[in-house]
Amino acid sequence: MTDRSVSWTDADTVARLLARATAPRRAPKAPFGPSGAAAARPMPAPARASVPPPPSVRPPARSKSLPPKAVPRLEHTSDNPSDRLDALLAWTLDNQRCTGAFVADDNGLTLAAHGISEAHVSLVGPLLSALVGVRSIPGIDATAGALWLGSNMMSWVEARTERGGFCLGAVGLEPLSTRAFEQLKEALETTVRGL
Amino acid sequence: MIDTKILDLAVQDLRNVLRDGLVATDIWDRTAGLSLAGYNQQPVAVALFTRITAELESSLADSNFPPLARFYLLDMEGNHTVAVVNHGTLLQGMLVDNKRANLGILISVAIPRMLEAVARAKPR
Repeated sequence: MTDRSVSWTDADTVARLLARATAPRRAPKAPFGPSGAAAARPMPAPARASVPPPPSVRPPARSKSLPPKAVPRLEHTSDNPSDRLDALLAWTLDNQRCTGAFVADDNGLTLAAHGISEAHVSLVGPLLSALVGVRSIPGIDATAGALWLGSNMMSWVEARTERGGFCLGAVGLEPLSTRAFEQLKEALETTVRGL
Repeated sequence: MIDTKILDLAVQDLRNVLRDGLVATDIWDRTAGLSLAGYNQQPVAVALFTRITAELESSLADSNFPPLARFYLLDMEGNHTVAVVNHGTLLQGMLVDNKRANLGILISVAIPRMLEAVARAKPR
Protein backbone atom coordinates (compact mmCIF):
# COMPACT_ATOMS: atom_id res chain seq x y z
CA MET A 1 0.00 0.00 0.00
CA THR A 2 1.34 3.36 -0.97
CA ASP A 3 0.81 6.59 0.94
CA ARG A 4 -0.74 9.28 -1.19
CA SER A 5 1.10 12.54 -1.34
CA VAL A 6 -0.55 15.96 -1.46
CA SER A 7 2.64 17.78 -2.15
CA TRP A 8 1.31 19.02 -5.52
CA THR A 9 -1.17 21.40 -3.87
CA ASP A 10 -0.36 25.07 -3.62
CA ALA A 11 -0.71 26.36 -0.10
CA ASP A 12 -1.74 29.87 -1.18
CA THR A 13 -4.50 28.61 -3.45
CA VAL A 14 -5.85 26.34 -0.77
CA ALA A 15 -5.83 29.21 1.72
CA ARG A 16 -7.80 31.46 -0.66
CA LEU A 17 -10.34 28.74 -1.37
CA LEU A 18 -10.80 28.14 2.34
CA ALA A 19 -11.22 31.87 2.94
CA ARG A 20 -13.95 32.03 0.28
CA ALA A 21 -15.70 28.93 1.57
CA THR A 22 -15.78 30.14 5.16
CA ALA A 23 -16.53 33.82 4.47
CA PRO A 24 -19.87 34.96 5.97
CA ARG A 25 -22.68 35.30 3.42
CA ARG A 26 -24.03 38.75 2.74
CA ALA A 27 -27.27 39.46 4.56
CA PRO A 28 -30.22 40.39 2.32
CA LYS A 29 -30.64 44.14 1.99
CA ALA A 30 -34.40 44.09 1.66
CA PRO A 31 -36.38 44.70 4.84
CA PHE A 32 -38.44 41.64 4.03
CA GLY A 33 -36.95 38.22 3.55
CA PRO A 34 -37.19 36.16 0.40
CA SER A 35 -40.77 35.70 -0.67
CA GLY A 36 -42.62 33.34 -2.87
CA ALA A 37 -43.53 36.13 -5.24
CA ALA A 38 -40.10 36.21 -6.77
CA ALA A 39 -41.46 36.37 -10.30
CA ALA A 40 -42.82 39.88 -9.90
CA ARG A 41 -40.34 42.19 -8.29
CA PRO A 42 -41.45 45.79 -7.90
CA MET A 43 -38.04 47.06 -6.98
CA PRO A 44 -34.81 48.17 -8.59
CA ALA A 45 -33.23 45.51 -10.74
CA PRO A 46 -31.74 42.65 -8.84
CA ALA A 47 -27.97 42.84 -8.75
CA ARG A 48 -26.10 40.46 -10.95
CA ALA A 49 -25.43 37.35 -8.88
CA SER A 50 -22.18 36.20 -7.29
CA VAL A 51 -18.92 37.75 -6.27
CA PRO A 52 -16.24 37.21 -8.92
CA PRO A 53 -13.68 34.60 -7.93
CA PRO A 54 -10.05 35.56 -7.31
CA PRO A 55 -8.12 35.86 -10.59
CA SER A 56 -5.64 33.19 -9.62
CA VAL A 57 -8.38 30.59 -9.18
CA ARG A 58 -10.57 31.34 -12.21
CA PRO A 59 -10.08 34.21 -14.60
CA PRO A 60 -13.22 36.30 -15.04
CA ALA A 61 -15.11 36.14 -18.29
CA ARG A 62 -13.99 38.71 -20.83
CA SER A 63 -17.29 40.56 -20.88
CA LYS A 64 -17.24 41.06 -17.12
CA SER A 65 -13.81 42.66 -17.20
CA LEU A 66 -14.96 45.33 -19.65
CA PRO A 67 -16.02 48.66 -18.18
CA PRO A 68 -19.76 49.40 -18.44
CA LYS A 69 -20.74 50.88 -21.77
CA ALA A 70 -21.31 54.62 -21.64
CA VAL A 71 -24.95 55.26 -22.49
CA PRO A 72 -25.72 58.63 -24.07
CA ARG A 73 -28.58 60.63 -22.59
CA LEU A 74 -31.74 60.70 -24.64
CA GLU A 75 -32.07 64.04 -26.39
CA HIS A 76 -35.33 64.89 -28.13
CA THR A 77 -35.25 67.00 -31.25
CA SER A 78 -39.01 67.08 -31.81
CA ASP A 79 -42.05 68.17 -29.81
CA ASN A 80 -44.27 65.74 -31.66
CA PRO A 81 -45.42 63.00 -29.23
CA SER A 82 -45.15 60.24 -31.81
CA ASP A 83 -41.61 61.31 -32.74
CA ARG A 84 -40.65 61.44 -29.07
CA LEU A 85 -42.02 57.95 -28.41
CA ASP A 86 -40.22 56.59 -31.47
CA ALA A 87 -36.98 58.21 -30.31
CA LEU A 88 -37.39 56.69 -26.86
CA LEU A 89 -37.91 53.21 -28.32
CA ALA A 90 -34.92 53.56 -30.64
CA TRP A 91 -32.71 54.81 -27.80
CA THR A 92 -33.79 51.88 -25.59
CA LEU A 93 -33.14 49.27 -28.26
CA ASP A 94 -29.76 50.82 -29.11
CA ASN A 95 -28.46 51.26 -25.59
CA GLN A 96 -29.94 48.53 -23.42
CA ARG A 97 -29.57 44.78 -23.52
CA CYS A 98 -32.99 43.94 -24.90
CA THR A 99 -34.64 42.43 -27.95
CA GLY A 100 -37.91 44.32 -27.65
CA ALA A 101 -39.21 47.49 -26.07
CA PHE A 102 -42.51 49.25 -25.61
CA VAL A 103 -44.22 52.28 -24.14
CA ALA A 104 -47.70 51.79 -22.68
CA ASP A 105 -50.15 53.78 -20.62
CA ASP A 106 -51.24 52.64 -17.18
CA ASN A 107 -54.19 50.78 -18.70
CA GLY A 108 -51.81 48.61 -20.68
CA LEU A 109 -52.64 50.23 -24.00
CA THR A 110 -49.70 50.39 -26.39
CA LEU A 111 -48.32 53.78 -27.38
CA ALA A 112 -45.32 52.39 -29.23
CA ALA A 113 -43.76 48.95 -29.42
CA HIS A 114 -41.05 46.99 -31.19
CA GLY A 115 -40.28 43.29 -30.84
CA ILE A 116 -43.12 42.51 -28.43
CA SER A 117 -46.79 41.70 -28.97
CA GLU A 118 -49.63 43.93 -27.79
CA ALA A 119 -50.86 40.99 -25.71
CA HIS A 120 -47.65 41.07 -23.70
CA VAL A 121 -47.74 44.85 -23.42
CA SER A 122 -51.26 44.63 -22.02
CA LEU A 123 -49.81 42.85 -18.96
CA VAL A 124 -48.77 46.29 -17.81
CA GLY A 125 -52.37 47.29 -17.01
CA PRO A 126 -53.04 44.72 -14.24
CA LEU A 127 -49.39 44.87 -13.15
CA LEU A 128 -49.48 48.61 -12.45
CA SER A 129 -52.93 48.35 -10.86
CA ALA A 130 -51.62 45.71 -8.47
CA LEU A 131 -48.70 47.92 -7.50
CA VAL A 132 -51.00 50.72 -6.34
CA GLY A 133 -51.61 48.69 -3.19
CA VAL A 134 -47.92 47.88 -2.84
CA ARG A 135 -47.08 51.58 -2.88
CA SER A 136 -49.25 52.16 0.15
CA ILE A 137 -46.51 50.48 2.20
CA PRO A 138 -44.26 53.25 3.54
CA GLY A 139 -40.88 53.37 1.87
CA ILE A 140 -41.87 51.24 -1.12
CA ASP A 141 -41.55 53.10 -4.42
CA ALA A 142 -42.52 50.22 -6.75
CA THR A 143 -42.08 52.21 -9.94
CA ALA A 144 -39.68 49.73 -11.51
CA GLY A 145 -39.30 46.00 -11.63
CA ALA A 146 -38.77 42.87 -13.62
CA LEU A 147 -41.27 40.18 -14.55
CA TRP A 148 -40.40 36.70 -15.76
CA LEU A 149 -42.52 35.94 -18.84
CA GLY A 150 -41.51 32.31 -19.19
CA SER A 151 -38.66 32.58 -21.64
CA ASN A 152 -37.81 36.26 -21.34
CA MET A 153 -37.56 38.89 -18.67
CA MET A 154 -39.59 42.06 -18.99
CA SER A 155 -38.00 44.96 -17.15
CA TRP A 156 -40.12 48.07 -16.75
CA VAL A 157 -40.12 51.53 -15.27
CA GLU A 158 -43.05 53.84 -14.66
CA ALA A 159 -43.41 57.61 -14.75
CA ARG A 160 -46.48 59.54 -13.68
CA THR A 161 -47.77 62.77 -15.21
CA GLU A 162 -50.90 64.87 -14.90
CA ARG A 163 -52.39 62.72 -17.66
CA GLY A 164 -51.71 59.45 -15.87
CA GLY A 165 -48.98 56.88 -15.74
CA PHE A 166 -46.73 55.72 -18.56
CA CYS A 167 -44.56 52.65 -18.62
CA LEU A 168 -41.40 51.88 -20.56
CA GLY A 169 -40.58 48.19 -20.84
CA ALA A 170 -37.65 46.24 -22.22
CA VAL A 171 -37.70 42.53 -22.97
CA GLY A 172 -34.52 40.48 -22.89
CA LEU A 173 -32.94 37.33 -21.57
CA GLU A 174 -32.19 38.81 -18.16
CA PRO A 175 -33.30 41.73 -16.02
CA LEU A 176 -31.60 45.06 -16.54
CA SER A 177 -29.05 46.43 -14.12
CA THR A 178 -29.83 49.07 -11.52
CA ARG A 179 -27.96 51.64 -13.62
CA ALA A 180 -30.00 50.68 -16.69
CA PHE A 181 -33.22 51.13 -14.72
CA GLU A 182 -32.14 54.63 -13.74
CA GLN A 183 -31.33 55.44 -17.37
CA LEU A 184 -34.69 54.13 -18.57
CA LYS A 185 -36.57 56.09 -15.95
CA GLU A 186 -34.81 59.32 -16.80
CA ALA A 187 -35.43 58.78 -20.52
CA LEU A 188 -39.11 57.98 -19.95
CA GLU A 189 -39.64 61.02 -17.75
CA THR A 190 -37.96 63.25 -20.32
CA THR A 191 -40.20 61.83 -23.04
CA VAL A 192 -43.59 61.89 -21.34
CA ARG A 193 -43.05 65.41 -20.00
CA GLY A 194 -43.78 66.62 -23.51
CA LEU A 195 -46.74 64.39 -24.37
CA MET B 1 -66.84 83.38 -29.35
CA ILE B 2 -64.81 80.28 -30.01
CA ASP B 3 -61.30 81.00 -31.29
CA THR B 4 -61.32 78.94 -34.49
CA LYS B 5 -57.62 79.57 -35.07
CA ILE B 6 -56.84 77.62 -31.90
CA LEU B 7 -59.18 74.87 -33.13
CA ASP B 8 -57.36 74.75 -36.47
CA LEU B 9 -54.02 74.46 -34.67
CA ALA B 10 -55.46 71.72 -32.47
CA VAL B 11 -56.60 69.77 -35.53
CA GLN B 12 -53.14 70.16 -37.06
CA ASP B 13 -51.61 68.90 -33.82
CA LEU B 14 -53.98 65.92 -33.86
CA ARG B 15 -52.85 65.09 -37.40
CA ASN B 16 -49.22 65.23 -36.26
CA VAL B 17 -49.87 62.95 -33.32
CA LEU B 18 -51.96 60.33 -35.12
CA ARG B 19 -50.20 60.77 -38.46
CA ASP B 20 -51.85 58.66 -41.17
CA GLY B 21 -53.96 56.93 -38.53
CA LEU B 22 -56.33 59.91 -38.53
CA VAL B 23 -58.85 59.46 -41.33
CA ALA B 24 -61.15 62.39 -40.53
CA THR B 25 -62.12 64.73 -37.74
CA ASP B 26 -64.65 67.48 -37.09
CA ILE B 27 -65.19 69.83 -34.17
CA TRP B 28 -68.71 71.21 -34.11
CA ASP B 29 -71.20 73.15 -32.06
CA ARG B 30 -73.71 70.63 -30.79
CA THR B 31 -76.70 73.02 -30.86
CA ALA B 32 -76.12 74.54 -34.30
CA GLY B 33 -74.57 71.40 -35.82
CA LEU B 34 -72.02 73.71 -37.40
CA SER B 35 -68.52 72.37 -37.97
CA LEU B 36 -65.90 74.88 -36.77
CA ALA B 37 -62.72 73.03 -37.72
CA GLY B 38 -61.74 69.71 -39.15
CA TYR B 39 -59.79 67.53 -41.49
CA ASN B 40 -61.46 65.54 -44.28
CA GLN B 41 -64.72 66.87 -42.84
CA GLN B 42 -67.86 64.70 -42.81
CA PRO B 43 -71.13 66.70 -42.49
CA VAL B 44 -73.23 63.50 -42.38
CA ALA B 45 -71.16 62.19 -39.48
CA VAL B 46 -71.61 65.51 -37.67
CA ALA B 47 -75.40 65.17 -37.87
CA LEU B 48 -75.30 61.47 -36.97
CA PHE B 49 -73.10 61.83 -33.90
CA THR B 50 -74.96 64.89 -32.65
CA ARG B 51 -78.09 62.76 -32.58
CA ILE B 52 -76.37 59.66 -31.14
CA THR B 53 -74.74 61.72 -28.40
CA ALA B 54 -78.00 63.43 -27.46
CA GLU B 55 -79.76 60.04 -27.30
CA LEU B 56 -76.92 58.54 -25.28
CA GLU B 57 -76.89 61.38 -22.77
CA SER B 58 -80.67 61.36 -22.30
CA SER B 59 -80.70 57.56 -21.97
CA LEU B 60 -77.96 57.67 -19.35
CA ALA B 61 -79.88 60.35 -17.44
CA ASP B 62 -83.20 58.46 -17.68
CA SER B 63 -81.49 55.34 -16.34
CA ASN B 64 -79.89 57.21 -13.45
CA PHE B 65 -76.47 56.37 -14.81
CA PRO B 66 -73.53 58.74 -14.40
CA PRO B 67 -73.39 61.29 -17.22
CA LEU B 68 -71.02 61.06 -20.19
CA ALA B 69 -67.55 62.25 -19.25
CA ARG B 70 -64.73 62.86 -21.73
CA PHE B 71 -65.47 60.57 -24.67
CA TYR B 72 -66.98 57.39 -26.02
CA LEU B 73 -65.61 54.94 -28.59
CA LEU B 74 -67.19 52.88 -31.36
CA ASP B 75 -65.40 49.92 -32.88
CA MET B 76 -66.34 49.87 -36.57
CA GLU B 77 -65.94 47.27 -39.30
CA GLY B 78 -62.81 47.64 -41.40
CA ASN B 79 -60.31 48.35 -38.60
CA HIS B 80 -61.81 51.72 -37.85
CA THR B 81 -62.51 53.34 -34.50
CA VAL B 82 -64.70 56.37 -33.94
CA ALA B 83 -64.00 58.50 -30.89
CA VAL B 84 -66.57 61.14 -29.98
CA VAL B 85 -65.10 63.67 -27.58
CA ASN B 86 -67.28 65.72 -25.26
CA HIS B 87 -66.00 69.30 -25.10
CA GLY B 88 -69.18 70.58 -23.39
CA THR B 89 -70.93 72.87 -25.87
CA LEU B 90 -68.75 71.43 -28.63
CA LEU B 91 -68.43 67.87 -29.81
CA GLN B 92 -65.62 66.30 -31.77
CA GLY B 93 -65.59 63.16 -33.86
CA MET B 94 -62.43 61.36 -34.88
CA LEU B 95 -62.31 58.50 -37.36
CA VAL B 96 -59.14 56.52 -36.75
CA ASP B 97 -57.57 53.63 -38.66
CA ASN B 98 -56.62 51.37 -35.78
CA LYS B 99 -54.02 49.53 -37.85
CA ARG B 100 -52.11 52.77 -38.22
CA ALA B 101 -52.66 54.44 -34.85
CA ASN B 102 -52.39 52.81 -31.44
CA LEU B 103 -55.33 53.01 -29.07
CA GLY B 104 -52.92 54.09 -26.33
CA ILE B 105 -51.82 57.12 -28.35
CA LEU B 106 -55.47 58.00 -29.04
CA ILE B 107 -56.68 57.71 -25.45
CA SER B 108 -53.65 58.79 -23.45
CA VAL B 109 -52.13 61.42 -25.74
CA ALA B 110 -54.41 62.63 -28.55
CA ILE B 111 -57.69 63.03 -26.64
CA PRO B 112 -56.17 64.75 -23.57
CA ARG B 113 -54.31 67.18 -25.86
CA MET B 114 -57.52 67.95 -27.77
CA LEU B 115 -59.47 68.52 -24.56
CA GLU B 116 -56.87 71.03 -23.37
CA ALA B 117 -56.63 72.79 -26.74
CA VAL B 118 -60.40 73.15 -27.19
CA ALA B 119 -60.74 74.44 -23.63
CA ARG B 120 -58.22 77.16 -24.55
CA ALA B 121 -60.30 78.08 -27.61
CA LYS B 122 -63.42 78.72 -25.56
CA PRO B 123 -64.28 82.20 -24.21
CA ARG B 124 -63.29 82.71 -20.56
